Amino acid sequence: MIKFFNNSNIFFWIEKFTNFINSIFFVLLIVAISFALIFSPPDYLQGDSVRIMYVHVPAAWIGLASFTLIAFLSILNFIFKIKNLFLISKSIAPIGLMFTCLAIVTGALWGQPTWGTFWAWDARITSMLILGIFYLLFIFVNKYVLDQHRANKISSLIAILGAVNIPIIKYSVEWWNTLHQPASIKIAGASTIHSSMIVPLLLMFFVLILYCALIFLMKYKTEIIRIKKKNLKRL
Amino acid sequence: MIESLIYMNGYGVFVWSSFAITALTCLIVYFKTLKTLRKYEKEFAKEIEELSTKKRKTLLESSKIASQVVSSYNKTI
Repeated sequence: MIKFFNNSNIFFWIEKFTNFINSIFFVLLIVAISFALIFSPPDYLQGDSVRIMYVHVPAAWIGLASFTLIAFLSILNFIFKIKNLFLISKSIAPIGLMFTCLAIVTGALWGQPTWGTFWAWDARITSMLILGIFYLLFIFVNKYVLDQHRANKISSLIAILGAVNIPIIKYSVEWWNTLHQPASIKIAGASTIHSSMIVPLLLMFFVLILYCALIFLMKYKTEIIRIKKKNLKRL
Repeated sequence: MIESLIYMNGYGVFVWSSFAITALTCLIVYFKTLKTLRKYEKEFAKEIEELSTKKRKTLLESSKIASQVVSSYNKTI
């Protein structure tokens, strides 16, 4: 099992997975976009502006899930000191930041026609902005703190501290009086969204997850080569 | 049909901007990540080629990653 997780095997599987994702990605992308922009119905209240949901919601989910994963890996890293966990976190962070920014921007574009404003210091939007700041701190520490061991410790601490913000984002719409609507899709309990809208939403989410996997694999591969390159100088 | 798809009852500018910004960001990040990966692969392959024959042979035999990077670099040039 441990042998499977060594960098040589991971490197081999990265090639395989990348080729697989590349082979199915464009077909799925076209299907998902067709559903999101053409086949899904307009909302009875929001009209066609509801289509923004198909990029906004998956982007927000990915932003949140990535940080949760980084925080979880950071805790494991503190306990078990496995270098690969740190590399995984480092490779996920830019993807999470990108999707958090996309959630904020597309949210602003959705806010203008529905709330009449691009921005409000609303609990959900502000907590998402704070998540973006935590991502930036995590990335900057890894980039500008030259001592790898120190960078690892500080960024792990940032991720664990930032994890406090995750439940705040999730429950902000229930704890405070916000412009942002409560969650329509619930893991436990009945969703308040019609299946004709759930299907394109999940399709877009799946396509964006594949995209994330592709970027993650490329970034992780780069990190492995960077380490091998450093080791080469010691030969 | 096409007009209503573009105009979307007045919401077209917001919907299309959201999709365009997402697509553009994804494309930029994809190509930037790919460029960085290629750069590191190229540098790593070059450094391996600059090693003495004995060291290079030992490295390529012991490291799967090094041999994969060198072979994929050789395919691209």
